[in-house]
Amino acid sequence: MYQPPSLLEKWIQENNELVNKCKQQEAGGGVVSRDHSQSNLRWCSSEFHKLLRKIQGIPPHVDHTQLELAVVCNTCVCFTAQSQFSEAELLLKEATERVLQMTGNNADTSDPLVLWRAVLKSAGNTALHPHVLYLLCLQWALWLAKCQLENIGELQEEMTSLCETVCDGVGDGSPSEAKRRLAKSPLLVMDPKRLTELLQICTSIAQGGEKLNEGRSSEALSDLQAASALPATRALVAYTHLLSGSCLAHMNRPQMALQCYKKALETDSRCVCALYRSMLIYRQLGNTQAEIQALRLLHSTLMLPPASEPVLGGIHPISPSLLLSSQSLSRLFSVPSALSVLYSLALKCVLSGRVTEGVEHYLDLLAALHSEDQLAVDAEVSVLPRMPELYLEAGTALLITRRPADCMALCNEVISTTLELVPEKVVLEEPEERIGGDARGLSVEGEDKVVMLLWAAAAYLLQGHCHAHLKDWKQAVTHYTRCINLVVKVRLKNRDFQPQIPAADVNVKHGKDLCALQRMKGLSLAWRGISFTQMDQLREALRDLQLSLQAFPDYTGAGLWCGEVLWRLGRKHEAAACWEKTWSLTTQTSVEKLPLYLQDPQSGPLLDSVELRLRIQELGPT
Amino acid sequence: MEGRCAVETWAQFGFSGGTYKVKILCGFGTDVLICTGTEEIYVFSKRERKITTVLLLPAAVSDLVGNQDKQLIYVACRSGVYCVNLQFLLHRDQSSQADASSSPAELKISQDCLVVGADEVSSLLLVGSVLLTLCQRDASWLLTLYKTPKQTASASHEEFGSFHLPVVSAVDCGAAESNRGPRKSSVLICIHSGYVEASSPSNASAESTVAQDHFHLEPLLFKLLFGVEAALAKSPVILCGLPDGRLCFLPLRLPGSRLRVLHSLEQPVCFVGASVVTETGHARCLVAAGERGRVVLIKTDKASSEGGSAVAAFTEGCVPGPVWCGCMDKSCFYYSTGSDLLRLDLSEGSSARESKERGEETSGTTAAALQSPSSLNVCRVIALAEPACSTAGDVQLLGVSARGQLQKICLPVGREDEGLSKLPSTQVGRSVRDLLSAIGDVCERASVLKTVIKSKNQFLRLLNHAVSISFLLMADTNTDLPIKEKPIRCHAETSWSRLLQKDSLNLVCFLHNSSPFVLERGWTLSITVSPLSCSSSPAGESSSTNFSFPFHDLCPGETFEASLPIAAAGDASFPMTVSCSLIFSLSSLLGEEEVAASFAGLQSSCISLPLSTLTVDWLHALQLNSPTATHKMATVQPCSAAADSIQTFLSSRQLRCSGRTDRGGESAPKPEPEKYSASVRVSSELVRDTLKPKKSSNLDTKESMRNPEDLCLSLLERLLSEDTEGVKMGYQGDKIALSTSVVHARGPNGAAVKLTAKEINVGEEESTDKEATIEVQIESSSLAAVCGLHHAVLRRIQTLLQSATEKAASTKNVQILGLRRALQRAEIQQSQISGAFGEVVSTVQRDRMLLSVYQELRQNPLLIV
Repeated sequence: MYQPPSLLEKWIQENNELVNKCKQQEAGGGVVSRDHSQSNLRWCSSEFHKLLRKIQGIPPHVDHTQLELAVVCNTCVCFTAQSQFSEAELLLKEATERVLQMTGNNADTSDPLVLWRAVLKSAGNTALHPHVLYLLCLQWALWLAKCQLENIGELQEEMTSLCETVCDGVGDGSPSEAKRRLAKSPLLVMDPKRLTELLQICTSIAQGGEKLNEGRSSEALSDLQAASALPATRALVAYTHLLSGSCLAHMNRPQMALQCYKKALETDSRCVCALYRSMLIYRQLGNTQAEIQALRLLHSTLMLPPASEPVLGGIHPISPSLLLSSQSLSRLFSVPSALSVLYSLALKCVLSGRVTEGVEHYLDLLAALHSEDQLAVDAEVSVLPRMPELYLEAGTALLITRRPADCMALCNEVISTTLELVPEKVVLEEPEERIGGDARGLSVEGEDKVVMLLWAAAAYLLQGHCHAHLKDWKQAVTHYTRCINLVVKVRLKNRDFQPQIPAADVNVKHGKDLCALQRMKGLSLAWRGISFTQMDQLREALRDLQLSLQAFPDYTGAGLWCGEVLWRLGRKHEAAACWEKTWSLTTQTSVEKLPLYLQDPQSGPLLDSVELRLRIQELGPT
Repeated sequence: MEGRCAVETWAQFGFSGGTYKVKILCGFGTDVLICTGTEEIYVFSKRERKITTVLLLPAAVSDLVGNQDKQLIYVACRSGVYCVNLQFLLHRDQSSQADASSSPAELKISQDCLVVGADEVSSLLLVGSVLLTLCQRDASWLLTLYKTPKQTASASHEEFGSFHLPVVSAVDCGAAESNRGPRKSSVLICIHSGYVEASSPSNASAESTVAQDHFHLEPLLFKLLFGVEAALAKSPVILCGLPDGRLCFLPLRLPGSRLRVLHSLEQPVCFVGASVVTETGHARCLVAAGERGRVVLIKTDKASSEGGSAVAAFTEGCVPGPVWCGCMDKSCFYYSTGSDLLRLDLSEGSSARESKERGEETSGTTAAALQSPSSLNVCRVIALAEPACSTAGDVQLLGVSARGQLQKICLPVGREDEGLSKLPSTQVGRSVRDLLSAIGDVCERASVLKTVIKSKNQFLRLLNHAVSISFLLMADTNTDLPIKEKPIRCHAETSWSRLLQKDSLNLVCFLHNSSPFVLERGWTLSITVSPLSCSSSPAGESSSTNFSFPFHDLCPGETFEASLPIAAAGDASFPMTVSCSLIFSLSSLLGEEEVAASFAGLQSSCISLPLSTLTVDWLHALQLNSPTATHKMATVQPCSAAADSIQTFLSSRQLRCSGRTDRGGESAPKPEPEKYSASVRVSSELVRDTLKPKKSSNLDTKESMRNPEDLCLSLLERLLSEDTEGVKMGYQGDKIALSTSVVHARGPNGAAVKLTAKEINVGEEESTDKEATIEVQIESSSLAAVCGLHHAVLRRIQTLLQSATEKAASTKNVQILGLRRALQRAEIQQSQISGAFGEVVSTVQRDRMLLSVYQELRQNPLLIV
């Protein structure tokens, strides 16, 4: 005799069907894109929600409660997975209230902590207890996702007991038991035990990150080291090592930090962040070779096809990334983009003398920037300089590697782009007003005219250097002249702002601009002078070199060549004095801080100081 | 009209209404794809001129983009983005065409084609191998980048990254707007700097035909708007217009770029494009249009004030909205307001700029360009695409109408009339309306003025006439012409009439106009009737009566007749003076109401021109008693007769009473009242001579004049009937032929009167020559009648004689005798009169004495010779 299934059975069946469908999709979810799974989730959540509404349509009843709570959990999982936290929270609140209603307790409080304690107490040791615990798990996940760590701290004891209970009881015999009761009991979308484990380690990581941020590094370190022993995926364990390393680095123990990073990398080879952090440590330590190596590795790792990136959460709808979304953590785990890594690599190479290598990297960078595949991804912090500067740096590198034609081509590009926008006259105002003028933040209309001018002038300067390198002095003079013409367009508004401001601690943008301007003025005048010298136009040469020294007294090249011209003009004593004076300037200030393209070109005619000293000696003390 | 668009309807498809974004996608050979916001996408073949295929998607379509090279289309549905290989489809379509030749093939797009699982995508854009989707998620706009795989079309597309822009709720779209316009429309286009001509295959193809969502912008403007870096990186820039009015841009290939706001239209953006294409293929003007008609034109302004470097000039303006859709060709922006298709010529501004090179004027001309969209007179267009310029210079657009018709719209060439049709339709309409109303006003005013002038002319003419007439009349009075010769004269006729059994004497005045002028409106004939002797009135007041007869046009030769009652029987005092005058009043000329309103004092101002003065005497007022008439009167009018007799009686009683005291003997009751008589003697010769010319034509009468009887008769006749001074007696009925020389009549006071004319010989007893004389004797019991008649007869004879003055010379002898006797008699009478005044007697006695003198005078008249 067939008995029609009761409403309860029908609902349980419906729930189980939905859960199975969910799990099937997740199982195949590795292939399907994130969007697809998202839409699946959306569909699931709406279905679960519908079911829940049906169930909640009748007054709370003990027989139904188990099912009801299971459906609530499933719905909440789906909502949480879609980052619909407020909906999930509302459901949880409703569910707890219904549980309380059923058990005859009435908690007229809206404080979730109080509510939870009441629920846990009222559920006591009834059959509902595991389901209530599971609900608490979801609440935990929600708090974690919303970075409300203090709530978790408040309920720390309950959480610990929960973990014990879940791991011992419910989770323990569940597979066999579940199979036995398959038809009878409602299924859950996510296994409570795995969820609890995930929550535990994620909470540890989040709390560690928080503490690190607050400067309690040692405290965080011990927690994290404890957490690294928790059962979890490799990626999450790697995170604990990474954070430990960061703590150590913060505690100024770079070598131990490096060890931690190494451990992280060993745990999870895709933990690029560890690589990046190591690179920073190397940079800090001044180990250029290691830094370059790390950068190269980092770049190649970043350039790996991301398709093979493992889904961190595996088949769970609630992924670790969802739970570890706090600001401080994301800052800690952030890695610059491949392009900026490549740029750092290129620049480092050039600066460290591996210019050929550097040039290759620069060219790679430019090619990448122009490739169709390059897309503007919402990059976190880009350390890339602005495009024209990149061009100019690449050009400089090319010139250093004696490829003036390529350099000139790049410079032409910059000039053609910027020259139209260079204003007739520019007033450089007090630097104080422009503090925080982040170049990228500037609106396009307000894009600094001075910057534009500097770029164009630098391009001309570089072209001049190229011609000088080719010993085409006439052309060199032309280009240096163009550079000078541009540079003199800038009027300084604040007169007491000394032009020879020490380039040391100029962080202010316009201070930097000003410095660059002076430097450029000095360089272009000096090199025009040198070019004139080569063309035996000594008077012009002397004038230019002296002007150059006025504009930028620190430039030794100008001083030496000035002496040379004086010598050639027969003013040998003056020449000697000039040389002596130049040599006495031992500053050689912060070339590192200057852009690459404003550094003294290594090509071109050079004066040998030894020879000059000989000349002085020959001159003798007259 | 020359500049009309030719609209050719290509196809009609089922269409639910204009609430969704309708998009036309071209560029697939001869195929045109149309999505109308429903689940269907129609594939229209231009070659076959029909809808060949209908693609049926799982959900409503919101956007549609195509990749021409790969023959792929991407369709944004509510549930995701689908990729359809068009070539494959069409191929299948062709193969299946054999069996289903007429009806379009319907193809269901399955879930397999889903490539991006994002829902509610509002806009799509394909840049090279990158697919961009724009959708709104909670509180932000999300621009997501997907990489399209190189080989397979249907594989899921890998997401690259996405860009967020917080939603601004400041712009209130308004319920009404959202109902009307396309729902939550957003626009995604791609801007390339002018440099990149053929860097990618899609760009190359986009260059050949003006792609719908790819534009090449002038490098300088590109740099100004999107920065040097984007230009250096040769990055295309994604420009998206959002429903909140923001225009955002994103350099696609620049690392670290962000979605930034370029401008805000503050109303839903419904079109973004670039135009004013130069020879090099760069657009020089970026245009964005908002749903409610706000348009911003972004151009390079080279001559900026600051330092002379170029800046981007944003010119905002409003065009008559709403803007439903738009498209661009090389120089124009076409947009539809639903009721009209309008064209904004943007090239003018730039060309003007080139000539002027001044910043303010640039914006001025650009703004002017915004001010003057020219109407193309095509209504209900809700989607536009593919402006194609033929070699002849005419532009073809593809449009979808609100009724779901795919239309080809051929715009007129109209190069030369562009300048003319620059005004927007509304302005043209307005100006035409203005002109028409102005014309109407002028017409009205002119007609008013015309009537005024006309009336003034009329007035002047009338015045001229009046003045002429008055001159004429004044001349008349000066020259003293006889009445008959006056150009405007008045004469009268008396007649007795009987009304309500009361006899009354009527006077009919005839105004004869023999002047060359017409007596027109404004002239009034005024007749004043007053007794000649005013003293007779007991109260001593003037008993004159005024009659005025206004008349309308009295043409030359016409006569105006006015009839007026002079007196009822028995209560008149004759003779009466009837003075006729013509009155010209300005007020009647001007018209009553005007004068009444403005010149209150003018009403009395009028010109009065005396015409003539007529006298109506007793003779005129006589009622002749023909034998029958007498009898009739006696019988038929008993009342009147009775009244008369009563009056007579009363008066006699009165007289008797008074007389009883004073004149007992005389006032003794007499059965017959006292008879008074008076007589006038005229020499027969004179009478004969006078009467002769009248009847000169008749020889018989001349002969008959010999007979004294006849002479008397004719004299009487003359006296009774002849008009004197313009007044004559009218007879009732036929003229009474006088048979005897005795005439019985009744005077106007009812008294019986007897007129007798007889020939007597008057002369000195001793003188030998006797003068034949005709004596006219008047007898009546009424003294007043005798006096009046005597006076009247004398007047007649006087006039008779006046008319025969020339005859006076021929009188043979001066009647010295008569004179002497008359002198004697006069002396006696003189003494009598003086005696009468001298003696102190009662007034009655004096009256009687004076009466007897008077009677004596009358009884013994002088012979008139």
